[in-house]
Amino acid sequence: MLKIDSYAATGQMPSKNPFSTRDAMLGWMQDIAPYGLFTTDTDLVIRSWNQWLAAHSGLSAEAVVGRRLIEVFPDVQVRKLDAHFARALHGEVSVLSTALHKYLLPLSPAQRSYSVPYMLQTVRIAPLPAGDEIVGTITIIEDVTQRECQALILRRQQAHDRLLSEALAQLLQSEQPQDIAAGLFSRLGAPLKLEAFFNYLVSADGKQLRLHASVGVAPEAKKSISVLALGEGICGQVALGRVTLIEPHLQESAGEHVQTIRRLGLRSYAGFPLLIGDRLLGTLAFGSYQRDVIAPDELEFLAKIAQYVAIALDRAQREQALREAQQRLHQHAEELEAKIAERTAKLKDTIVQLEGFSHTVAHDLRAPIRSLIGFTEILLSDFGAVVPPDALDLVRRLNAASHRLDALTRDLLVLSRIAGQDVKLTAVDVDGLVQEIVALTPALEGGVVAVRHPLGAVSAHRTLLQQCLFNFFENALKFMPVGVKPMIVVRSELRAAATPGRPGTVTPFPPSPSGPAPTTGPRRRIWIEDNGIGIPAVAHKKIFGIFERLPGITPVEGTGIGLAIVARATEQMGGTCGVESTPGEGSRFWLEFASADGPQAAPQA
Amino acid sequence: MDLTTQQNDALTELINIGFGRAASALSDLSGFRVSLEVPRITMHAIEQIGPLIGRLVTGEVASVNQVFNGAIAGNALLMLDERSATMLSRLLSEDSAVTGGFDASGQEIIMEVGNILLNACLSVFGDLLQVRVSFAVPRLQVAGIGSTLKTLLSESDALRHGMVIHTHFHLRASNVTGYLIIILGISSFERMLQELQNWEKRQISC
Repeated sequence: MLKIDSYAATGQMPSKNPFSTRDAMLGWMQDIAPYGLFTTDTDLVIRSWNQWLAAHSGLSAEAVVGRRLIEVFPDVQVRKLDAHFARALHGEVSVLSTALHKYLLPLSPAQRSYSVPYMLQTVRIAPLPAGDEIVGTITIIEDVTQRECQALILRRQQAHDRLLSEALAQLLQSEQPQDIAAGLFSRLGAPLKLEAFFNYLVSADGKQLRLHASVGVAPEAKKSISVLALGEGICGQVALGRVTLIEPHLQESAGEHVQTIRRLGLRSYAGFPLLIGDRLLGTLAFGSYQRDVIAPDELEFLAKIAQYVAIALDRAQREQALREAQQRLHQHAEELEAKIAERTAKLKDTIVQLEGFSHTVAHDLRAPIRSLIGFTEILLSDFGAVVPPDALDLVRRLNAASHRLDALTRDLLVLSRIAGQDVKLTAVDVDGLVQEIVALTPALEGGVVAVRHPLGAVSAHRTLLQQCLFNFFENALKFMPVGVKPMIVVRSELRAAATPGRPGTVTPFPPSPSGPAPTTGPRRRIWIEDNGIGIPAVAHKKIFGIFERLPGITPVEGTGIGLAIVARATEQMGGTCGVESTPGEGSRFWLEFASADGPQAAPQA
Repeated sequence: MDLTTQQNDALTELINIGFGRAASALSDLSGFRVSLEVPRITMHAIEQIGPLIGRLVTGEVASVNQVFNGAIAGNALLMLDERSATMLSRLLSEDSAVTGGFDASGQEIIMEVGNILLNACLSVFGDLLQVRVSFAVPRLQVAGIGSTLKTLLSESDALRHGMVIHTHFHLRASNVTGYLIIILGISSFERMLQELQNWEKRQISC
């Protein structure tokens, strides 16, 4: 038998011992070893017990040496670990892992902060040889509590991280995160060993909390907590104070605010406000019926989950609001469109009626006007000698007014006819057209019109274009300063695409949506430039309106319809028109149509 | 290096007895029913062991190595690839939800499993063949298969023959395959064959 026990037990070096040197060395090594070391004899009586073991077991060498191992630690036999000692006596070496056994001897952990009842140990049990003989066992105990606890924390952190990223992905992908929050718990509950979950959402008026989802609460109990006022119960307090509330050891707590959850049987609780900035969306709370305490790292994890849920809820609510706003906007747009369509139809109807009316009026008026002209001319020619001179003057005025009335009704008829006309566009040779107008209009003869050939061809309606050009010429002749000979220049230019004109020009009407579609091909602009009185800039647009005339011009000189006819006719032909002018410097009117020059003639409407 | 059918049968029976004891110890330990199966035992010259194991196991391996001495002396080794080692340690520990790699705790479990298995087999050898076997402390190594084999062979200088025992662990509806390798010197090998024969004779005479 080894004698090292006597050293360990008494601290005295044994004398006259055949193993004395080895034993002394062994004894010394035992006491400086940073692990537990003890030996037994073949009867499993403890023969040595080092300082480390004494420190961690609270049992001194004197207290244990000489006693059987299972007498000091009956637990070893209960857990059938004595078999390893028996096998050691047969020469076997045993290794006991901490994962499968936790510990061999119930020793105190070196650090109390670890929440384990006993020090976690890795153990080796080996035969103690003396020569060829096995004289007992030797056991080495290593403290792995710190390693294991840190590994556990690390594993838990990894698990939490994985759960968090899964939860986040789930929340972000979900169309209905408010329901996912409940689904999340089914994933989180088991790994975190939490059995209860409550998710309250703030009511629309912001005064109440409504239980949106819960797990682990009996249906009857759920009814009593389905609606809470802010400040009512612990979830209400979380919402009111917008604070996280942690309640461990609930069953031992006497607090009023935890009365309800204590009655539910919960042992621990953690409640988090669902906040986005200062805005409270609701609360998220977790509870356990088994555990008195929720660990700090778990609370940190749950707080993050609450944060994620709040963000997801906020996103869902915003998306919902956006969807509703879009729907309202869409509805409003549809209503507006319907109103516009209805009003446009009414307007068109009114225009048609008005045009019909003006045509009828103009047409029907012309017969009595003709009579008026005829009779006044008879009066002047046949009765001029017998009518007193004053009366004759009146008759002349009457005749002039009748002519003017006739011109007005004629122009109105033209305008109404154009409005109701379907036009067919063809390639019109502008040079020939201008020549024809000049030949048919005596007032334009004698070099009044200078044409800069070639004027090219445009896609237009010949009669309407003739009317437009004639009206421009007529206008030029009418609005001349006194004593100035009218000079009209006609020229044209090819332009790259449909453009409303150079800066400073005015296009009274863009191409009509109902008229022929404008082409993207080249355009030809025809300029009619005169040396007339000119038009102030403010009137450039107005003069193309019906009955609009230049201020200061007497009504006798125009019907006020001529340029309105041009604008309407141009629009009908898918063209544009405008004017550039400065008072006293003449005017430059223009008409623009799709070019019909050469191969790229404008398409037919 | 071939054994006769009789020798192979006797050896398989012996190993099965050892595995039975190991399985019972592992069942007691884990609380789960563990069974161990020996589908095949093959005998090889030492230089064939490396290429053979290299074909069966790839990548990182966990090996538990236990040298034994006595009338039959040699080197015994349990070898599992890292995936199997991790799986076995998780299956045996209660916390099956353990995440992460093959950590210190898992390595200890494998060392204990190896220790149980090697002890069981070698002590059955000792008991039944009536020879005295003593054991060294088991050592765990986690390394590439190449380096593991190199260590094994360099430590087996005087050893000539290797027994490769395919080992199947069955527990919790899962299977894990490992390899138990026992390397012996010529005299130990001859002694083993002789003792095996003696044992068979005793069995028959019983």
